[in-house]
Amino acid sequence: MADVEDQILVQQALQGKPESFNELCRRYYPSLVAVADSILLDHHLAEDAAQEALAAACRGLKTLRRPESFGAWVGSVCRNVAKDMLRQLPRQREASDGHTKKESDCVDDEQSKILSEAIQQLPQHLREVVFLRFYNEMSYGQMSNVLGATQQSIDGRLRRAKKKIAAYLKRKGLRNQGIL
Amino acid sequence: MMRNDSNRWLERLLARHIYHKPAKFDFQRWSEKHPEESRLLESGFKDSGRSYENKTYHLLRCIMESKVTKYSGAAAATLALALVLLNPFGGSKHSGVLLADVQKKIAETDTMVFRGQKIFSCADEPNISFKFDVVKYMSKAYGHTEEGYLGDKQAYRITFNLPKKQTIIVLPMLQKYLIFPCTDEQIKIVERLNPAGVIDLLLQSEHKELGAGDINGVEVEGFEFQNVKSIENILPKFLFDIQQGKGVIWVGVKELMPIKMEGDMVIGKCFFTAFTELRLHEFCVLENYDVELGEELFSTAIPEGYTEIKLTDFISIKAGVAGAGIGAVTIGLVVGKKLRNRRTVWPAEAT
Repeated sequence: MADVEDQILVQQALQGKPESFNELCRRYYPSLVAVADSILLDHHLAEDAAQEALAAACRGLKTLRRPESFGAWVGSVCRNVAKDMLRQLPRQREASDGHTKKESDCVDDEQSKILSEAIQQLPQHLREVVFLRFYNEMSYGQMSNVLGATQQSIDGRLRRAKKKIAAYLKRKGLRNQGIL
Repeated sequence: MMRNDSNRWLERLLARHIYHKPAKFDFQRWSEKHPEESRLLESGFKDSGRSYENKTYHLLRCIMESKVTKYSGAAAATLALALVLLNPFGGSKHSGVLLADVQKKIAETDTMVFRGQKIFSCADEPNISFKFDVVKYMSKAYGHTEEGYLGDKQAYRITFNLPKKQTIIVLPMLQKYLIFPCTDEQIKIVERLNPAGVIDLLLQSEHKELGAGDINGVEVEGFEFQNVKSIENILPKFLFDIQQGKGVIWVGVKELMPIKMEGDMVIGKCFFTAFTELRLHEFCVLENYDVELGEELFSTAIPEGYTEIKLTDFISIKAGVAGAGIGAVTIGLVVGKKLRNRRTVWPAEAT
C-alpha cells in the first residue's frame, strides 16, 4: 500500500475502500500537522486542524478533479482550516511555547525566544516551508507533494526564509558563532 | 540543482527548535470522531450529496455542472462589478448572518479567487449571446485580475494593478491590448475590489434580505441590492458604460463568506460593446481564499507581439452579434463575426 500512487488510493477510497483513505491520511497527516502548526503555532491545535482538514477532504473527495494532486489539495484545505481556527482563537499568539520549551536544553531561553520571534516574523508562506522542512525532517520531494510547488521553488523559499531569520538574529545581536 | 546556501548554519538550530516526532494518524480514533465521514467512506460515497464545508471550496463545480445554472447566467464581473454590484451587506436585523462578522472575516482575508460565468446578450436581440467562463483573482496587495475564457481559450484578461495604478485589457485571441493609467476615482474603486474593501463598499448601500437558502448543501442567506453607482466608473464611460444594475449575494451562514454572487447590468453603447447596448448577467462562486497569488498575476506588462487596440479594429463590427464584458465584449463580437454565427454561441461550440 505504501507504494501505491495517490491517484489510485483516491479512486479506491471513492469505490468504498476506507483503508485507502487511511493510507492517504497516514501519508499526509504529519505534513498537515506541520502546515497547521506553522499557522497556529500550537502543536495540539495543529493536530486538531489536520484532522479536521482530512475530514473536509473526505467530504470533498468526490469533487477532486485531479486525484494525483491530492497532497497539494489537502494541504490547501488544511491551510484554510487552520486559518479559520486561528481567527476563532483569542489573540494569544505570543505564547508560542510548544516550540520554545522543547529546546531549552539546547540553547538558553533568551536565544530560543529570539529564534521563535524570528520564525514568527516570517511571512506565512515562508514559515510554512520552514516548518515542513524541520518539523519532521521532510525531504524536498515530500514537501513538493504537499505544497504543489517545484523543488526549486521550495529551495528558493527556504533560502529566503533562512536569510530573513539570519538577518533577524543578527539584528538581535546573535551571530551564528554565538548560537552554535 | 540547489545552490550553495550561506545560511546553512541555521539548519541545525532550526531543526532543534522546530523538530517534532512525526505525528501518527490514528484512523480508528479519527473515524469515531468523524462518523459522517466514516460512513461516507464505508458506503463508497454513495450519499455524498450532503457534504458541507468542502462545498465552500468546490461549490462552483457543482453549480457549473448543474443544468439549472448552466444556462442561467454569469458572474459578477470583477468583484468590482460583481461584489460591488452586489451591495448586500449592511446591518442585518433579522438575518442569522451577522454582517459585521462577514466584514471582519473578509477584512482578514488577503486574497480571494472566484469562478463563474458571464453572459452578454444584445438588448435588441436577446437570443444572441456570448457566455464566458470567468476567474477573478483579488489581492489586497496587488489589485484585481479577471480572466475570461471561451472554452479552454482565454478570450480576455483585465488587470487593475494597484501599485502601478494601471489598467491593462488584453485580448489574446486578437493579440491586442489596451493600457491606461487609472484615474483617482478608478483607484478608489479598485482599492475596494480587494476582499476587505468589497465588504466596506457593500455596507454602504441599502439592501433587501432574501432570507435563508441552500446552495448545493451549503446553508446561505441572501441579500439583494439595486445600487451599482459605486462601480459605474470602474472604467471610463466611453470604454464600458455601466448604466444600471442589481444583484444578489449569498453568504454562507457557517463560512461567513460570500458563497455566490449574481448580478444583472445594462451596458450602454460604448467602445467595448462595439456601440451596441448589451445586457450582462453573471454569477461567481467563491473557490478559495487566502491562497498565494503571485504578483505576476497582476502584471500590466504588455505581452510580446501584441499591438494596441484601435477604434478601427472594431468599428466594422456590426451591432447585432452578442458581446462580452469588461474587455471581453470585443473578443466576443469578433469571435462571433469570425464564426459567422448568428445564433447563440457557447464556448464549447466556439472552439
